[in-house]
Amino acid sequence: MAGIVVKGRFPRRRVVQVVATNVFRYLFQGAARNWIRNIGSTTPALGSMTLLLLMLGLIGLSGFALYNLERIEAAQASLLHVYMRDGVASADVDTLWDRLANDPRVASVGYTTKAQALVRAQRMPGLTQLADATDSNPFPASLDVQVKNIDDIAVIDSMVRNDVAVDPIYPTSYDRGAYQRIQAVLFGVAVAGFAFLSLLGFVAVTVTMNSIRAAIHSRRDEVTIMQLVGAPRWMVRGPFVVEGAITGGLAGAAAGLVTFALAMAGIAAGSGSFTRFAPGVTVVVAALAATIVFATGLGLGSGTSLVSVRRHLES
Amino acid sequence: MRSIVEFIGVTRAYGSRLALDDVHLALEPGELAFLVGPSGAGKSTLLKLINREIRPTTGEVWVDGIAAHKLKASRVAELRRRVGVVFQDYKLLPRLTAKENVALALQVGDLRVSDEEASERALDALDAVGLGDRGNAFPHQLSGGQQQRVAVARAVVAQPPLLIADEPTGNLDVDTAWEMMDLFGDIAAFGTAVLIATHNVEIVKRLQRRVLTLVHGRLVRDQPAGRTGRLAWLASS
Repeated sequence: MAGIVVKGRFPRRRVVQVVATNVFRYLFQGAARNWIRNIGSTTPALGSMTLLLLMLGLIGLSGFALYNLERIEAAQASLLHVYMRDGVASADVDTLWDRLANDPRVASVGYTTKAQALVRAQRMPGLTQLADATDSNPFPASLDVQVKNIDDIAVIDSMVRNDVAVDPIYPTSYDRGAYQRIQAVLFGVAVAGFAFLSLLGFVAVTVTMNSIRAAIHSRRDEVTIMQLVGAPRWMVRGPFVVEGAITGGLAGAAAGLVTFALAMAGIAAGSGSFTRFAPGVTVVVAALAATIVFATGLGLGSGTSLVSVRRHLES
Repeated sequence: MRSIVEFIGVTRAYGSRLALDDVHLALEPGELAFLVGPSGAGKSTLLKLINREIRPTTGEVWVDGIAAHKLKASRVAELRRRVGVVFQDYKLLPRLTAKENVALALQVGDLRVSDEEASERALDALDAVGLGDRGNAFPHQLSGGQQQRVAVARAVVAQPPLLIADEPTGNLDVDTAWEMMDLFGDIAAFGTAVLIATHNVEIVKRLQRRVLTLVHGRLVRDQPAGRTGRLAWLASS
C-alpha cells in the first residue's frame, strides 16, 4: 500500500524537553535576570562573602600546613640525638648502642658520623654558613634514638646523659617542653582562626540574608502574582535560592582563584623554604582548597537564601 | 450537582474582631453572584478564604472538592490553579507583555505547556476579551479597562471552574465597567462559577443576578437571581 510515512517526535521526549525549558526559564533564567537587576543590593553580600571565603581558604591552607608541621615536630620530638664526645672509644659507643637498642621504650637506634652530621647541617637553613665557616668539623657524631612514646623522652635522656660515651657539655638534643610549647602555640592559632572565621561567617550570612530579604521586598508584587496564579512553592522560592547560589558561587570562584594564586605564588617564590614552613601545601592541595572554597560559597549562598526565603516569604 | 464553593459555618476572626461570622453559602457551576456589603463587611475576607490566602478560624471551606480550611501550604498552588482571580488593581507583571502575562498563568500551573501552546492559548483568551490585537503591548501601554481585560484573560485561560473578582470595576469608567460585566456573564455562561465583590449599586440592580449581602461579617441576605429587590444599605455606604 502506497502512502507517506510521517515520523512524529517521541511525545515523552518532547514533554521532558518542554518541562526542562520551562524549569530553566522560571528557575535559572529568572534568577540570573533578577540577580543582575539587584546587583546594587547584592554587592555588599558578594563582598563580605568573598572576604569570608578568601579567609577560609587562606586559614584553611595555613591550618593544613600547621597540622603537617605539628606532625613533623612530633616525629622530630620523639627522635633523641645523643651526641658523642670527641675521641670516644668505639667500644663505649657500642655499649651505649646496645643498652638503648635493648630498651623496650626505644623503637630504633641509628648512628650518624661527624661527616654525616656536617652534611646534614649544610642542608639546614641558617646552619649552612656556620658549617662552611671553618676548616674543621664542629658537628659531633650522634646516636639517633627513635623513642616509641614521646612521654618517655625525658627518661631516656636522663639515662644516657651521664654515660662515658656522651659529650658532657652538650649531651643530647632534648629540650624539655619544646613540643608542648609548639602544641600550645598551634592550639592558640587554631582557636583564633576559628573565632575569626566564625565572626566573619556571621557577618557574611547576615549580610546575605538581608540582601535576599531586600530582594523579596522589592519583588513582593511579582511574588504575590506568581502565588495567585498558582505557581508552586519551589517556583516562587527557587529563584531566590538560585540568586543566593549565584552570589555564593561568584564569591567562591573569586576567593578560590585568589587562594590558589596566592598558594602558587608562595610555592613559586620560595620553593625550598616554603615547603619547610608550609609542609604539604602542593599544587594539588592548593587546587583542592580552591575547589572547597568554591563549593562552600555555593552552599553558603544557597543555604543562607533558603533560610531567608523560609523566614520572609509567606505561602 | 456538586457545589463549586461551599462555606459551612465559617467564622474568621482577626484578634477579637470577627471579620466573618458563621457564614453558610454554596455556589454552583455556571452561577454568577454578587457579593455586596459596606466597607469592612468581610467581602475581601470571604474571597481570601476561597483562595486560601487565609484560613477560617472555625468552619469548613470547600473549593471544587478541595478542603481549603485544612489545606497544607505546600498544596495551596493546586487549589489556586482552580480559582481565577481578578483584582481592582489588575496585578499584571509590568515587565511582561499582555500575552506573556496570560501565558504565565498557563505555564506556572502546568510545566508541560510549551511556549507555542501557551502563546496560542493566551492569544485565544485575549481574543475572547477583545484584545486579540494587543498581545504584544506592555501593561503601561494599555488603558485601565484593557489591563483589566488582560487580567480576566489571565484568570480564565486555564479554564478554572471558579472565577472570583474583588472590585473589578473599581478603577473603570461606567461604559468599561458594563463591558466587563458582559464579559463575566459570558464566562459564567460557559459553566464557570463567578463571584464578584462590588460596591457598584447600578450594576447589581440592573443585572438581576444572585446577590449575597454581608454586613458586619454576617451573611444577612441571599437573594436569588431575578429577585434582587432593595439594596438600600448600598446607597448609604
